[in-house]
Amino acid sequence: MKRRFFLQSLAGFASFPAPGVSEILAGVSPQSPALGFRLADVTSAAGIQFKHNSGAYGGKLLPETLGSGCAFLDYDADGWLDVLLINGRDWPGHKRMRSTLRLYRNNRNGTFTDVTRPAGLDIEMYGMGVAVGDYNNDGFPDILVTCIGQNHLFKNTGKGRFIDVTRASGLAGRSAFSTSALWLDYDRDGFLDLFVCNYVKWSPERDVFCSLDGKHKSYCTPEAYRGETCWLFHNRGDGTFEDVTAKCGIFDSSSKSLGVTLLDDDQDDWPDLLVANDTQPNKLYRNQRNGTFKDVAVEAGIAFSTEGKARAGMGVDVADFDNSGSFGVAITNFDNEMIGLYRSTGRGNFEDVAVPAGVGLISRNTLGFGCVFFDADLDGALDLAVANGHIDETVRNIRGNVGYAQPPQLFLNNGKGVFHNVADALGAEFAHAKVGRGLAYGDFDRDGDLDLLLTTNNGPAFLFRNDQLAGNRSIRFRLVGTKSNRDAIGSLVRIYSGALVQSRIVKTGSSYLSQSELPLTFGLGKRDMVERVVIQWPSGRTEEYKGLAAGRTYECLEGKGITPQDGF
Amino acid sequence: MITLAAVVAYSWYITIQIAGLRNLQNNLTDRSRRDSLQLLRIQNDLNSLAVAMRDMLDNDEPYPLTAWSAQFQRIRSDLDDALRLEEQLAVTSRTQEQKEYLASSLAQFWDAAERIFALASDGKDKDARDRIRLSLQARQAALSTAVARLLVQNNEREEQAALQVAQIYDRVERQVYLFFTATLVAILLTSLYLIRSNRRLFTQLASLSNLRSELAQQLISTQESTLRYISRELHDEFGQILTAIGSMLGRSEKHVPEGSPLRAELHEIRDIAQTTLDNVRSLSQALHPVMLDEAGLESTIDWYLPVVEKQTGIVISYEKSGAAFPMNGSAAIYTYRILQEALNNVARHAGVQQAWIRLRFLPDTLEMEVEDHGKGFAAPPSKPGIGLVAMRERAQLLGGSIELLRPPDGGTLVRLKVPREKAESNAREEPQ
Repeated sequence: MKRRFFLQSLAGFASFPAPGVSEILAGVSPQSPALGFRLADVTSAAGIQFKHNSGAYGGKLLPETLGSGCAFLDYDADGWLDVLLINGRDWPGHKRMRSTLRLYRNNRNGTFTDVTRPAGLDIEMYGMGVAVGDYNNDGFPDILVTCIGQNHLFKNTGKGRFIDVTRASGLAGRSAFSTSALWLDYDRDGFLDLFVCNYVKWSPERDVFCSLDGKHKSYCTPEAYRGETCWLFHNRGDGTFEDVTAKCGIFDSSSKSLGVTLLDDDQDDWPDLLVANDTQPNKLYRNQRNGTFKDVAVEAGIAFSTEGKARAGMGVDVADFDNSGSFGVAITNFDNEMIGLYRSTGRGNFEDVAVPAGVGLISRNTLGFGCVFFDADLDGALDLAVANGHIDETVRNIRGNVGYAQPPQLFLNNGKGVFHNVADALGAEFAHAKVGRGLAYGDFDRDGDLDLLLTTNNGPAFLFRNDQLAGNRSIRFRLVGTKSNRDAIGSLVRIYSGALVQSRIVKTGSSYLSQSELPLTFGLGKRDMVERVVIQWPSGRTEEYKGLAAGRTYECLEGKGITPQDGF
Repeated sequence: MITLAAVVAYSWYITIQIAGLRNLQNNLTDRSRRDSLQLLRIQNDLNSLAVAMRDMLDNDEPYPLTAWSAQFQRIRSDLDDALRLEEQLAVTSRTQEQKEYLASSLAQFWDAAERIFALASDGKDKDARDRIRLSLQARQAALSTAVARLLVQNNEREEQAALQVAQIYDRVERQVYLFFTATLVAILLTSLYLIRSNRRLFTQLASLSNLRSELAQQLISTQESTLRYISRELHDEFGQILTAIGSMLGRSEKHVPEGSPLRAELHEIRDIAQTTLDNVRSLSQALHPVMLDEAGLESTIDWYLPVVEKQTGIVISYEKSGAAFPMNGSAAIYTYRILQEALNNVARHAGVQQAWIRLRFLPDTLEMEVEDHGKGFAAPPSKPGIGLVAMRERAQLLGGSIELLRPPDGGTLVRLKVPREKAESNAREEPQ
């Protein structure tokens, strides 16, 4: 056997241990160096003490089982990622405690400080999801919290405080069951617009009695309720928004939307939207470049499962996971429906490759919510993390092989489009069963790799610090738009390093109710140089830079050049 | 052959049946199913329209009615696609009236919808809602009913097809049973025919064998009686004559003076007569030893073996054991002939000068062995000589058996076994 082949075989074994092997490795060492990285649960050490309050009191109200989300954001613009955890509250008439969302400021030493009150976010609301974006281009990220009832838009003053500008921005007066949301500049006017998913027409007064055993109330499936259209708000650029849902062609009263992500499906440099619907066909709103959208999900092959069934879509993310230059899609679904992993076949069409790619059959008995593509081991191939957990705590009585709490999954990409779940090999801290919901990634410790933030329903949140063990390197880009929106959302960055070509898009939303950091991280393996970087800004401008060293973050200011930082 | 032909014919028949079934399933069942799926898709689209109209009438959205325009367009696009596919797949022969009704109902629905959205565009939402309530919902309901009827027709058609398929399966099943029955009968008849034919052949063979055996035995009997007759004639007639001639010549010789030539000639003639008498007696003895009839087998063998030794130069070791029982008559002559033939073979073929004779009187059997250590048989003769055949026939006449064996030292061992009962019963019979 040639030495190179032997080493490759070893590397392959290390990257994708067989189930039995991974169990053995997990038994020997909680987080095996064979994977090249570990995910350490640093929640307590970081000082994050959060427990989600679903408000559940026994009434089995539908929103209780679906929340809530989380976000990595740098609210004080100090270059260190802060953590935002969305929370529910007690239902009217069943008050037990006060609960609010939590904002944790990064102390730059691996710990966080709860700054919710000084930040002005100590407000009770039944929060579900979050979308972070600098809608007023002032350099400080603003926060939209989706809620049961009225959503809230918090403007960042830049002085460590937020102001609730829901009414002033024109977003008030709407009550709905909002879920995921994202910021995008759909008309490329330089201001971020807002897209909000709504689930079903629900309110405590409209709650329907559903039962699994005919006696006790249980959470209803969405079929019991009427759908609700998603909303699109156009940013007028003056701090106010205009509801363009109807005139842009997004309006659809049958939708039951839980997840949304941004992509450029037809690669025309105009942002498109992919919406994951629960028991309704997914929607792929293709930007018509004239302020309107057209749903092409059916033609694109992403509306239904391969059997033609509308699945229970939850979370969604897009990424160039096969480094083909075209973006694929992951959609988490209900148990017994498998994750949908769609590969782009060109011309804006998709093909579900979940089963051949190795994420299909293994996800049949899990109910997935949050999902993110990120390069966990910095080998240059995007991996897929999924937060799992059922909606019904009695599910095991009905389906013995499906539990309420379920282990999250981390599918490592072997670089050839095949994934392997290595959650067990990461150890019990990561793999123990949770009622997972939100999921986001970000480099909170600025070591160049991506850490994970995971929320659970009516339970704690988890912060997993990623520690690289194999010496893989990365390069990061923080984009700042000048003509484009300041967050550069919608920008496409492509790097060339030898034969390795990777693409990322700057986006908010994605996953489920959550938001990952905006800076882009590219794993480079053992490479220490990127030959070429091409940035396509939403304004239409394209910039190219050459000969960038790995191991640091670059700040790219649209039209002004690129500035290397000291480290990450 | 018949069975093979039946199998080929049956396979062909089944292939035709299965091809027909597949064709039917493809053309009717599967197509009908896919058609039903498209009809369900149409029905689903119509229901989506109904839900959208309900939402429009509920008036609890902050949007104008025109907001539903895109939703209607999406549904219309899917509906058109479903209708196009359904038309290609439709197996039910629709009446022209049905087709026209569906087409015109759809056209009227979309026409009404467009007019309603036009009213909404002009800000006349109330009028538009009234139209939805009065006209559009009714048209949707009518369309839904029409499609439901098509679905029912399709289901009926599917049921008919399923029935046809079931009938074909029944037919095939019947034919399978029939074929198996026919095959079994054919196999049974063929077997019976073969058994009967074989039995007849065996009977014929047995008959021929018996005839041949009878013929051989008759031949041997005739031969033995002829030889016995000739032997007796030679002994009794020619022996007496020659004895008389010898006596007469002796007396005549006494009448002729001694020393006369005549006396010498008479003496010479008398010697010739005596020699002839001896030869006649020897010949008679050789043809049928009178001793057999008079003294039995044992004594004859005792006499015969020294003669053979003298004639052939073969040294014979004779061994006799057991309590002797009487062996004369035909049993004796046949046993004697077998011994004669066996020794004759030793002399002619074995190429040795020594032989062993063993005569064993066992309680139930007489056993006689003639053994030599000569050339032996290279292989069992494919066409046995007349001598061997005669030995076997004689053994059978005795009710016994004869074996040709190879002794450990090589050569040939001829073993005759005659049941005592047979030997004694044969002993009382004289060959005819």
